[in-house]
Amino acid sequence: VPDDLLLGLKFIFGPSAVPALDLVDQRSVTRVTSPNGRTAYQVLGSSGKLYTCYSSCHFCTCPAFGFTVLQKSESLLCKHILAVYLSQAMGACQELTVSEEQLTSILLAEEEDEG
Amino acid sequence: LCRGGLAERLCRLQNRERSAISFWRHQCISDAKIPSDKSGVLIVKILEMFEECTIQVAICQQLEQSAAMLSSEDAVVNAGEPILKVLFARETAAHLKSRPQDVIHIYPPWQKLLLKNADVPVIMNTYFSQKVLLSEHSETTEKTYGLTKMLIRKNITSLAQTFRLDDLNDDLCQESSDNQVACAPQIHNNCDSKEQSAVNDSLLEMVESQGAVGWREVQVRVVIQRVYCLPAREGYRSHIQGNKPLRATPIINSDPPNARLCLLVQDAYGMFSEVQLQSPSSADDMEQYCSRWEGKFCCLAGMKILQRTTRGRALGLFSLIDSLWPPVVPVKVPGQSQDSEMITTNLTPPSFCYILTAQSGEIHVEVDEQEQISNLYQPPAVHALKDILQIDGCNERCSFWARVLYLRLQTKHNVPINQREIWLFVTDSTLQNVVHMTPKVVAVSVAASCVLGTEITEALSVASQLVFFKDALWGNGRIICVERTVLLLQKPLLYSAAGADLSELTGPVRLDELDSTTQANSVCAVRGTVVGVNESTAFSWPACDRCGNGKLELCPQDRGLLYCNQCSEVVVSPVLKMQLEIFLSCPSRSQSIVKVKVWHKISFGLFVLINMLLSLQSYEVQSVLGKEVGLLNCYVHSVTSHPNCVALEEIVLL
Repeated sequence: VPDDLLLGLKFIFGPSAVPALDLVDQRSVTRVTSPNGRTAYQVLGSSGKLYTCYSSCHFCTCPAFGFTVLQKSESLLCKHILAVYLSQAMGACQELTVSEEQLTSILLAEEEDEG
Repeated sequence: LCRGGLAERLCRLQNRERSAISFWRHQCISDAKIPSDKSGVLIVKILEMFEECTIQVAICQQLEQSAAMLSSEDAVVNAGEPILKVLFARETAAHLKSRPQDVIHIYPPWQKLLLKNADVPVIMNTYFSQKVLLSEHSETTEKTYGLTKMLIRKNITSLAQTFRLDDLNDDLCQESSDNQVACAPQIHNNCDSKEQSAVNDSLLEMVESQGAVGWREVQVRVVIQRVYCLPAREGYRSHIQGNKPLRATPIINSDPPNARLCLLVQDAYGMFSEVQLQSPSSADDMEQYCSRWEGKFCCLAGMKILQRTTRGRALGLFSLIDSLWPPVVPVKVPGQSQDSEMITTNLTPPSFCYILTAQSGEIHVEVDEQEQISNLYQPPAVHALKDILQIDGCNERCSFWARVLYLRLQTKHNVPINQREIWLFVTDSTLQNVVHMTPKVVAVSVAASCVLGTEITEALSVASQLVFFKDALWGNGRIICVERTVLLLQKPLLYSAAGADLSELTGPVRLDELDSTTQANSVCAVRGTVVGVNESTAFSWPACDRCGNGKLELCPQDRGLLYCNQCSEVVVSPVLKMQLEIFLSCPSRSQSIVKVKVWHKISFGLFVLINMLLSLQSYEVQSVLGKEVGLLNCYVHSVTSHPNCVALEEIVLL
C-alpha cells in the first residue's frame, strides 16, 4: 500500500483513518453470512465491544456513529465502517457463517444498554 | 497500534506531514512572495463552494497562467479550461478563508483522484495551499462578503451505493446527490484570533468533534471534583540504602518527583474526565491544590485524549466516579438546545470516561480560584469508622478522620522499599467507645499506588497523627488506600459529615485484648504468665545511644571501638539491645501457645529476666517461670491452627 493512499485516507476520513487501519491490522472485521445470503459485519472495537455494521446501508451500532455521523453530520462514517470497507478492499475480513436465527439476533440486537 | 501495521505507518506519515504543513505555513507568513518554481503547482480559481461533512468542496477552474496575469474583472468562465473539484480540509479552509472568484495556488504534494463514474477529477491532500490576493480585489471582497455566509451542505450518499457492496437492494431509496440542503449560517472563523475561543461546557462534544488530535482553540468549562496524585508510570526509583539500617531512618521513603497531579472533572452534562497534568509535581503540593482547587470551575484547553476507558478496565477510577454519582444538581441533556431541560432522576452511572492530558507538555488548565465553589461539587462524605465497617458493598469509596496508632512496613522479597505496602493501625472515638462486636483498632493498608507526600510520611514515622483519609476503598472487610486515595494532615475545608462523630479521643487508647478472634496483621494487648523461654532466639547487640542505630561497625582505626554510620561518629557508650522470645499462657486465649518477641528497651520488667538469662549465663528456669506479664501492646505476626500458636511482637504505639 503506497504512502499516498494512506495519506489520502487520512485527508478524507480524518480522525477515523488511523483507528480504522488499526482495526484492519488487527483483523477485527468479520463478515457474518447466513445460508440465505444475508450478511452483516461485526467489528471488535478497541474496548472489546463488538459492533455491528450493516452491509446494505451506512450504519454502525457504535456511539460515535450515532453522535458524529447521524446527529452532527460531521463525519461520513465511524472508524468501524471505514474498517469494514478497508478490510473488504484488502481481503482482510474474517469469515463466519451462522444460522438464520443467529444473524437475525445480531441484526436486531440494537437495544443493548450502553450503561 | 500494531508494530509494522498500516496504522503505525500512517501515524508516522501523518506526523511528518503535519510538521511539513506547519513549516510551510510559517514560511508562507514570513515569505509573502510567490516562489518562482512552479513545478507541480496547481493554480485554480474557485467558482463555487460548499461544505460536506467538515470538508470544504470547491468547484474550480484550472488556470494555466500565473494569477498575476489575470485581470481582476475576469469573471468569465473560460470554456476550454478544465474543471476540478478541489477538497480542502477544515483547517486549511479556515486558514484560506476563500470565496468564489479567489485564485488558489496548491503546492505539491497534492493528490488527484479519478472516480469511476465521475467526469470531474478530485484534488485532495491540499494542505499546502495559498491564496493569491490581487491587491485591487481584496478590499472590495471584504466588503461584499460578510462574516456570516451561507454554506451549502450536501446530504451524505450511502457508500454502499458508491462502492456497490454485496446485497445492495436497488429498491431501497437512496438520497441523490442532487439534493442540496441549505443550512443555517455558519461562522467559520476559528483562526481569526487566538483569544476568541468559544467556551464550551460539554466534554463529550469536544472530544467527539475534534478527534484524538487535540483541541486547539476551544476551551471546555468543567468543575474539579477531586484532586489527587497518581504514581508515575515508569515505576519508582528503588531506595535500597546500602549500609544504612532501616530502623534509624524514616520507615517510609517517598519519592516526590515521581507523581503526576491529576484532576477528576465533571462537565455540565454530568460527564466525567480525568485530566493528567504533565508537569512533575510532588505529592507535597497535593494538599495545597486540594484545598485551593477542589470544587472550583476551570477551563481546559489544548488537551489530548490519552485514553477512553471503560468501567471494566478502570475499576479504581469508576469506584471514585460512583461515589460522586448521582450529581447533586440537575445536569443538562445532550442534544438539546441551549434552554434544555435538566434531568436529575433515573440517571445511569457513566460507563466510560476519557483520560486527557495536556498537549506538548503545556498545561492549559485555568482554575478560577476566586470564584465560588460550584453547586455540582460533591465534597467527600466523612463517616465514622464504626459505620464504615458496616458498609455492605464492595469497592466503595469512603472518607474518614482517624488517629494513627502504629505503622508497619509489610516486607516482601524482591520488592524495593518504595513499593512496599504500609499498614496503618487507626482508630477513632466511635471505635474506642464501643464495647461489643466492633474492633477497637482497624488496619488500613496503604498500597504503593497511593501517593504520599513527604510531609505526611515524616509525620507518620514520628508521632501519632490525626489523618484525613479521603476516598479510601472499603471492600472484603478491609480498608485500603490505593490510587486516587489522598491522605491529608488537615481536615478539608469542605466535607459533609453524615452524622459522624468527629470528636477527639478522650483518654488513652485501648487495644483489643488477644482472644480467639484475633487475626494476623493486627494489633492487640496481651497479658499472661510466662510459661517458657525460647533461649535459641535470644540475642543481644549494641546500639548507638544517640540515634538508636542497631548496626554498628568496628572502627577502622581502633578495632576496639564501635562506629555509627548514621551519626558518623564513634559510639562511646553503646546501649545493649536484647531480643527474646517468651511463651505466655493467656487466659483470654487459653487454647493457644502465645509466643511473644520482646525487646529490652521497652519492657523494663522483663529486662531483669533476660539479663539473668543471658549475661549471667546461669539461671534457674523456675525463677523465671510464672512471672506475670502485664498488658503488652503487640503486633500479631501470625496465627496458626495446627499447632495452635499465635506469634506476637511487642510494639510501641506512636
